Amino acid sequence: MERDDRHGSRNGNCDPCQRSCKKARLPDPPQPISDPELRSEFSHHQRGVARINNGSFGSCPGSVLAAHRDWLLRFLQQPDDFYCNSLREGILRSRTLIKDLINADDVDEVSLVDNVTTAAAIVLQQVGRGFAESRFAPGDAVLMLHCVFQAVKKSIQAYVASAGGSIVEVELPFPVSSDEEVIAAFRRGLERGKKNGRRVRLAIIDHITSMPSVLIPVKELVKICREEGVDQVFVDAAHAIGSVEVDVKEIGADFYVSNLHKWFFCPPSVAFLYCRKSSGLVSSMHHPVVTHEYGNGLPTESAWIGTRDYSSQLVVPAVFEFVKRFEGGIQGIIKRNHEQVVKMGQMLAESWGTNLGSPPEMCASMIMVGLPSRLCIFSGEDAQRLRSHLRVNHGIEVPIHYQPPADGVDGPRDKDGSITGYARISHQVYNTGEDYFKFRDAINELVATNFTCKRLLIE
Amino acid sequence: MASPKSHRHHPQPNGDLKTHVPKKQKVPAFLTDSDLQSEFAHHDPSVARINNGSFGSCPASVIAAQQQWQLTFLRQPDSFYFNGLKKGILESRAVIKDLINAEDVNEISIVDNATTAVAIVLQQIAWAFAEGRFLKGDVAVMLHYAYGAVKKSVEAYVTRAGGRVIEVQLPFPVSSREEIVSEFRAALERGKVDGRKVRLAVIDHVTSMPTVVIPVKELVKICREEGVDQVFVDAAHGIGCVDLDMKEIGADFYTSNLHKWFFCPPSVAFLYCRKSPRSMELHHPVVSDEYGNGLAIESAWIGTRDYSAQLVVPSVLEFLDRFEGGIDGIKKRNHEAVVRMGEMLAKAWGTSLGCPPDMCGSMIMVGLPACLEISNEADTLTLRAHLRESFGVEVPIYYRSPKEGEVGPITGYARISHQVYNKEEDYYKFRDAINKLVGTKFTCKLLHD
Repeated sequence: MERDDRHGSRNGNCDPCQRSCKKARLPDPPQPISDPELRSEFSHHQRGVARINNGSFGSCPGSVLAAHRDWLLRFLQQPDDFYCNSLREGILRSRTLIKDLINADDVDEVSLVDNVTTAAAIVLQQVGRGFAESRFAPGDAVLMLHCVFQAVKKSIQAYVASAGGSIVEVELPFPVSSDEEVIAAFRRGLERGKKNGRRVRLAIIDHITSMPSVLIPVKELVKICREEGVDQVFVDAAHAIGSVEVDVKEIGADFYVSNLHKWFFCPPSVAFLYCRKSSGLVSSMHHPVVTHEYGNGLPTESAWIGTRDYSSQLVVPAVFEFVKRFEGGIQGIIKRNHEQVVKMGQMLAESWGTNLGSPPEMCASMIMVGLPSRLCIFSGEDAQRLRSHLRVNHGIEVPIHYQPPADGVDGPRDKDGSITGYARISHQVYNTGEDYFKFRDAINELVATNFTCKRLLIE
Repeated sequence: MASPKSHRHHPQPNGDLKTHVPKKQKVPAFLTDSDLQSEFAHHDPSVARINNGSFGSCPASVIAAQQQWQLTFLRQPDSFYFNGLKKGILESRAVIKDLINAEDVNEISIVDNATTAVAIVLQQIAWAFAEGRFLKGDVAVMLHYAYGAVKKSVEAYVTRAGGRVIEVQLPFPVSSREEIVSEFRAALERGKVDGRKVRLAVIDHVTSMPTVVIPVKELVKICREEGVDQVFVDAAHGIGCVDLDMKEIGADFYTSNLHKWFFCPPSVAFLYCRKSPRSMELHHPVVSDEYGNGLAIESAWIGTRDYSAQLVVPSVLEFLDRFEGGIDGIKKRNHEAVVRMGEMLAKAWGTSLGCPPDMCGSMIMVGLPACLEISNEADTLTLRAHLRESFGVEVPIYYRSPKEGEVGPITGYARISHQVYNKEEDYYKFRDAINKLVGTKFTCKLLHD
């Protein structure tokens, strides 16, 4: 079994790969990935399931999974050698690629963690310490969107509320018809936050909300936060990378985090946490799992949190190779996913006589499609049960959102009543039109057979 | 020990778990030598891998089981999340509970590694200081040989919160349990000076470097007698290396890695928290929507990630069944072999062991010839790298600073491990490498260039 010297030789000579690359002629531009190749890459997906929920758990192509197994194997072969000679370089390589992708200034601003949930804990612990160490006054506010991801909400309770901070929720309208509506709602929320001279210590803004899913005008909202004297701005962009263009300098937040296993083809799981250097907060950030690297900066702390499998973090370069096989690379993928999900969303809404939850420009690779009122989705539990029913009885995987009618406002309606349920459909490279036709037909069948969610209580 | 067959759950393609109702199965034969070689064929054959203690090892059949779990998630992740994951984690926890003789499966949480478990326990201590339940200057006691990460964690969570830290100075080489017990008592006394309380004692079950098996049961008893609030046993090397019995040991918290000596893939550990009103105060630092449902439930969902290393624990039992005496047989044979090899090396080099045989598990410290002139920690790292690069031997080296008045002291010790895949050749290779270095008048000073 020969040692793999591709990643730098141990006797101090320069990387043999670099030497040979200088001499090679430029390679021919690769052919875009063909349909059969694409199917092969995702052949591990369960057959017979219309998998239109890439948003929840993401997806990973076969060639990246193979690279993932290779990294683990290298560790298993000789773990001490791996730890001493390969791990750090590998993580740094991944961080550097991400830094370039998101237009960060400095690789020291980019840390890799397991997922956005972990990144949120890191940011919120730092804010919590501000309260515990009396740098923030009791009652100072942390602002979040009403529909913030449940884990983040709990994290705010655990680290901020318990340390004396107060929580301000900003209600965003849904369905929504323009950025202006979101911006106006946010301004109102921020006013409330600053009531009675309270300082707003942190604003958490989703780049793409989860449920219901809407693309938020983060750049504008960050600007407003700066104008209104918010201390720290944290953009939770769990869905962003691989579904929208990300330019962290343009967005201008102090913290920006995104999962790479959702829309960027990484295996579960890996996310990046960007901490802007100029915010001056970097040195107060720590990974909660403390090792001998404590105090060496968050990127270094996060790159070693004890013995574990770091393969998902190491495999990022293989993903960059994968996306290059698509016309237009990741931008091409982003564009086509968006066009398709809008097209399919419009097709469904038309077939069912319902609506979309947002205009096309306020979505990325996911869109909310109104479900027929006759299904009688009257609670979050109804939505969950309908989702299970679709999975078990119709082979369709799609999350359902219950949108209670707003007080005193005439909500969206179809010919039979108020629309209170929305499906969040996703489009990723492996999806085909059939997936959405299957969903269309299943719902039409349920309506035609007078199905309502009440029936699921008996099942 | 007998492992209940009802714990052998295997993932089905649609993400559901089906319990095997066992037919009269033929008990699988014990692994032959070539089966064993096959299980560890992925290990680099050019390396005398005598450092199982650092990163552990995982047989091919368990890796295959892990890949099955990974595939089940990738096939249909939503279905796996709703139908398979929680059950699978509960299965693993139930297996562990039986293995370690805990009272209740609710006392068992699964986390990535002992380092994470330490952060969880210490975070709770930090809050107690922050909320004024512990007073500034109250004490945490830990061993001087506590693992580096644990020391940093104590600094981050205890010192920073206002606690005072006392280290138990342990002798090394050590010749009896009594030496350890008396140093520990002395440290507790120092902790109670000025009327302060000792809020936490962190006790290694098996220290890392230098490695010694600590008489934890006695030390926990002393802690109880002396009114220590919380006792936390860091047994990173515990399961599969020494005997574990939670009820016997009697600690409040106990953690051990399963990827070191229990054949799990990287990485998985358990954190045992004895049932008490305090249990609900422990939280996983990565907060998810399970926050507040108890540490075990919180730890079983910390966002989307690969839980396969945690799900594969029941499969390890099947692997263990293929060894005579199961895990107990493995422990016994590892211990006997590592002592024998340690004594062989010490004799060949004219040195000595770091502790008596009954104070080690599957690892032992062997003195290196003084003429190698290992004079500081940096030397140990460069010597270790030299052994890896030039001799194909993987073994960690420990620097022991000489005490005043010692003549020709041994300042370097190798920590050799023995696991089922090791052969005597591995240790002969090491013996010969050192003898060659000595024969060519090698000293660590030469590596300073």
